[in-house]
Amino acid sequence: MFSSTREGLALALPAAIFALLLFILPVGILLSEAFQSDDGWTLKGYIDFFSKPLNQKVFLRTLKLGVLVAGTAAIIGYAAAFSITNLSPKARGRVFGLVILPLMISPVARTYAWIVILGRTGIVNDTIVGLGLSDTPIRLLFTETAVFLGLLQLFMPLMIISLLSAMENIPRDVIPAARVLGANWFQVFFKVILPLTKEGLVVGGTLVFTGALTAYITPAILGGSKVLMLETLLYQRVNVANDFVSASVIAMILIVMSFTANLLLKRIATARK
Amino acid sequence: MKDLTSWAIISITLTFLIGPFIIIIFAGASAGEALAFPPDGLSLKWYLKVFTIESFRQSFILSMGLAIFGTLAALLLGVPAAYALNRYDLPGAETIRTIVASPIIVPGIIVGLALLRYLVIPTGFTVTLALFLAHTALVLPYAVRVVSSSLNNLRSDMEEAAVLLGCTRLQAFTKVVLPNIQGGVLAAFILGFVTSFNQVPVSLFLSGPGVKTLPIDMLAYMEITYDPSVAALSALLAFMSLAIVFVAERLLGFSRYV
Repeated sequence: MFSSTREGLALALPAAIFALLLFILPVGILLSEAFQSDDGWTLKGYIDFFSKPLNQKVFLRTLKLGVLVAGTAAIIGYAAAFSITNLSPKARGRVFGLVILPLMISPVARTYAWIVILGRTGIVNDTIVGLGLSDTPIRLLFTETAVFLGLLQLFMPLMIISLLSAMENIPRDVIPAARVLGANWFQVFFKVILPLTKEGLVVGGTLVFTGALTAYITPAILGGSKVLMLETLLYQRVNVANDFVSASVIAMILIVMSFTANLLLKRIATARK
Repeated sequence: MKDLTSWAIISITLTFLIGPFIIIIFAGASAGEALAFPPDGLSLKWYLKVFTIESFRQSFILSMGLAIFGTLAALLLGVPAAYALNRYDLPGAETIRTIVASPIIVPGIIVGLALLRYLVIPTGFTVTLALFLAHTALVLPYAVRVVSSSLNNLRSDMEEAAVLLGCTRLQAFTKVVLPNIQGGVLAAFILGFVTSFNQVPVSLFLSGPGVKTLPIDMLAYMEITYDPSVAALSALLAFMSLAIVFVAERLLGFSRYV
């Protein structure tokens, strides 16, 4: 540890000033825009925004999809992460590599694949029509289900990684010990695994929820204007109507939702102690 | 039995995570005119066609430039900051850390819009310059975090010893610290590059005539045309990312840093 504070600040401040000027300042001005009117401060932008049924619907849909995606990712993530810890170290490394591989691939590419799967002439519809379950292709694209699947596929690796690193810290013999002492698998999960991995769950849950909330590409490609989410609504408001007040309101909602999710999950995790 | 269940769960999960990527590769290799899977016969024509589309060429070059120079700039700012935060007892260190990490917390679309409204329009900065600054800000948190974690693993008494033995502080940094954290710096570069290259929301509003990043250009292209070229391009880009990460993993055990 060096003691020269001036030297240290000279090294650290350029990065901080850069982030402050190019990031915090512009975003701060944008957020304040909804509170300004010709005669001082106002909440009119917020009241107007939430009084429109479409906006309410989009807000609730975004919240719902975020919770659903995070919840589903947690359930599958637990099963997957637990299975991975059962593997031999070598196989574990390989599988881990395959789990993080999608994170390196462009989200545009990953989302585009769902068009091929869910489109009118996609695999699912070919199968449905081929089996005679329906005469005409069903609309699968531009539905909430499509957006849900796309988001789940996009963000599940983050949940698995978080849970895996938490599970690695569980001592190997805790679970057999609980079994020997008479706990069934249900009890093992809720009394042993869940308490020991809750930090991983908090990290993973926050990452997946905020990821789903703030994803643009997936709702844009798979939801279109039929299934708007807050991000796509923001884009539309600005591009179609030059409506910067709504944009500012949505920006605030997204930031507040992300922070609340993080705080809430942390609270839940500490309450279970 | 337990092994079998484990493998079944893992196979299903991996199919869900990786399957779409495999479908994209084949959909791009179609011999037909429309996007389909299974493809109508196999050919490489769409893979080749991608290279002849002028706007893709332009946006590829822009995205490459942003990813390379944006990440370099982020490292130039981030490495000294990470070093100072690790080795000096700074007043307000927590605040500095939060400020530097903030670009990761705020949704990218908001950043892009804010920069367009309050930087490009009032100051007359070009969109390209704004994109460069935005991508630098975006990569900065990763650069600081990854370099910090590799500085954490390096004991500070080595530099102190170098200083005692007559090095200047700068020499101690370049001769002792830098060679020891170069793996972390390279990992930060790769992570930053991939993040920047694949980034969409930040660049959404920061585009103009002839200035579009590649992912934005792909989004625009797929709105008008429904042919397999975007699938082919997606597959090519995915292979590029994978090749970079694979080489990085072989050279320095990249996944340690992520």
